[in-house]
Amino acid sequence: MLLSKKKGFFTRIYIVEIIQGLAITLKNFFFSRKVTIQYPEERRAYSDRFRGLHYIKATNGVENCTACMLCPTVCPAECIHIEAGEQADKEKYPVRFEIDLLRCCFCGMCEEACPKDAIKLSAIYEMATHSREVLRKDMLLEQRGNK
Amino acid sequence: MPKCIIDGREAEFSVGENIVDIAKRIGVSIPVFCYHPGLSVVAQCRMCTVEVEKMGKLQTGCSTPATDGMVIHTNSQKVLDARQSTMEFLLVNHPLDCPICDKSGECDLQDYSFEHGSQYSRYTEERRTYVDLDMGPVIQKNMNRCIHCTRCIRFADEIAKLPEMVAMQRGNATEITTADGRPLETDYAGNYSDICPTGSLTLKDFRFHKRAWFLKKTPTICAGCSRGCSIELQTHDDHVYRIIPRENQAVNQYWMCDEGRFMYHAYQEESRLCVPWFDGQELAWQEALQQLRAKMTGALFLVATDLTHEEVDAVSQLAQFYGAQLLAFGSDTDADYDAILRRTNMAANFHGLKRRGLSWYAGQKAELVIIVRAGRTKLPQLGETPWVGMGVFWEKEKTPSCQGILPGLSYLEKNGTVTNFQGTDQALKQAVAVPGMCRSVPEIVMQWMHGGERG
Repeated sequence: MLLSKKKGFFTRIYIVEIIQGLAITLKNFFFSRKVTIQYPEERRAYSDRFRGLHYIKATNGVENCTACMLCPTVCPAECIHIEAGEQADKEKYPVRFEIDLLRCCFCGMCEEACPKDAIKLSAIYEMATHSREVLRKDMLLEQRGNK
Repeated sequence: MPKCIIDGREAEFSVGENIVDIAKRIGVSIPVFCYHPGLSVVAQCRMCTVEVEKMGKLQTGCSTPATDGMVIHTNSQKVLDARQSTMEFLLVNHPLDCPICDKSGECDLQDYSFEHGSQYSRYTEERRTYVDLDMGPVIQKNMNRCIHCTRCIRFADEIAKLPEMVAMQRGNATEITTADGRPLETDYAGNYSDICPTGSLTLKDFRFHKRAWFLKKTPTICAGCSRGCSIELQTHDDHVYRIIPRENQAVNQYWMCDEGRFMYHAYQEESRLCVPWFDGQELAWQEALQQLRAKMTGALFLVATDLTHEEVDAVSQLAQFYGAQLLAFGSDTDADYDAILRRTNMAANFHGLKRRGLSWYAGQKAELVIIVRAGRTKLPQLGETPWVGMGVFWEKEKTPSCQGILPGLSYLEKNGTVTNFQGTDQALKQAVAVPGMCRSVPEIVMQWMHGGERG
């Protein structure tokens, strides 16, 4: 059973509430600090632990990665694809190292699992592109963001 | 039966049995490196030491036969300390390159190090390193990882009957190598990789293709010869990466030959015919069978010695349907090849077909020959007689007289029963998905006889 609440006259015309609400709006408009920034020109500082676009660390121009397959093993999104090969100066290296960014959930488990400190997540968060290409090894080696 | 007590549990054993085997049977795991049930006992890794009451020192479980009333502790502090020390000692010169080692994930050294070893290494001196010689096309050697268990040497001497592996030098400088540095000659070289408890001897064929923990394991039977070794197909994403033997004391103990180990490659080749083909063009199943039905006059059915019993049954029904003769083809002799495992007859079900009482093809004339086989038996000499193949065929086998191919399944893709040389019926199990438009023989026969709209 529905009961209609009896309300007084002042409550029914809402004038008091409207004035109170406007007062809050105006107070915030004139007296509080701005929360927006001029994005492309101004940028926020993110934490060092921010998990953005991946990169592969290299030592003396050779990638640290030994294609041990621990990152594709631990990856919950199954977005890392590695093909291992052999070189004269490096017993095992990744011939192909691809990350399908569209599938990646940026959990950072790959970084945690890596025994060679090879795969890392940078602070780059602008990842919108016009194509759906996967990240390839040469691109991952180059792209390091601010780290 | 005599009884002993292991970790408070009573275990019956037969005289002469060693502690490791008895413990394994009652579910107590004792770590071992050099001990292998199929090889002689040397007790040199010292990993299996256990405490036996009334014996002063720790005893090696693999070389100590149990006696009646023996009380054994495998988990006392003394044993655990000994294991940890042994692990540390074995890992002194080990490179710890698990990320690049193919064995990691199925490595005894890795597992026991995790279970019994220390987390940190105290060793600061330079590790001993070797330069590796090439060991032929099957085995890749990495001597740095070796722990000198000599399983490979004993395998060469006792199972492969070709003493080609030797230990050179002494003490810290011991190097396991082939005699005179020659490549391995045995037909059973793949087993070196299976028995090696570390990544010292790994398969070149499997090298870096897949990590061990990704592989799905299907127990099945090798279709390489009439022995029918128990094997395990290791697959990932419907691709076979490796075959390893399974223990089966009645047939192959713990071993298998290289031919059986690597023959799966042929069935994953590009040139395997996987689309129905008739009169020079690739067709849908419906049309190929339609054209074939019109040609079935004076036909002769030939079944290969590598087919399963289920497939032969299906084909014999088809032959009955047409009132045609059903004959077997392929080598009709079988003998021991090398007194180890291999047999001279290279087909899985030769003895099964023999048992069914089929007569062998001996050049009988026919207008059209239907050859049914699973890819292992050599095609018969038919001369100019037109033939249609059902089963596994390759591009190079399409002779000018070949009228059509109905692609079937190999032992990797089908279930079925085959009979080995001892007369034992063993089951093949499907491990990977059917490739292309291939179909099993019973399925083809069903559509052939009853029509049906599928495909």
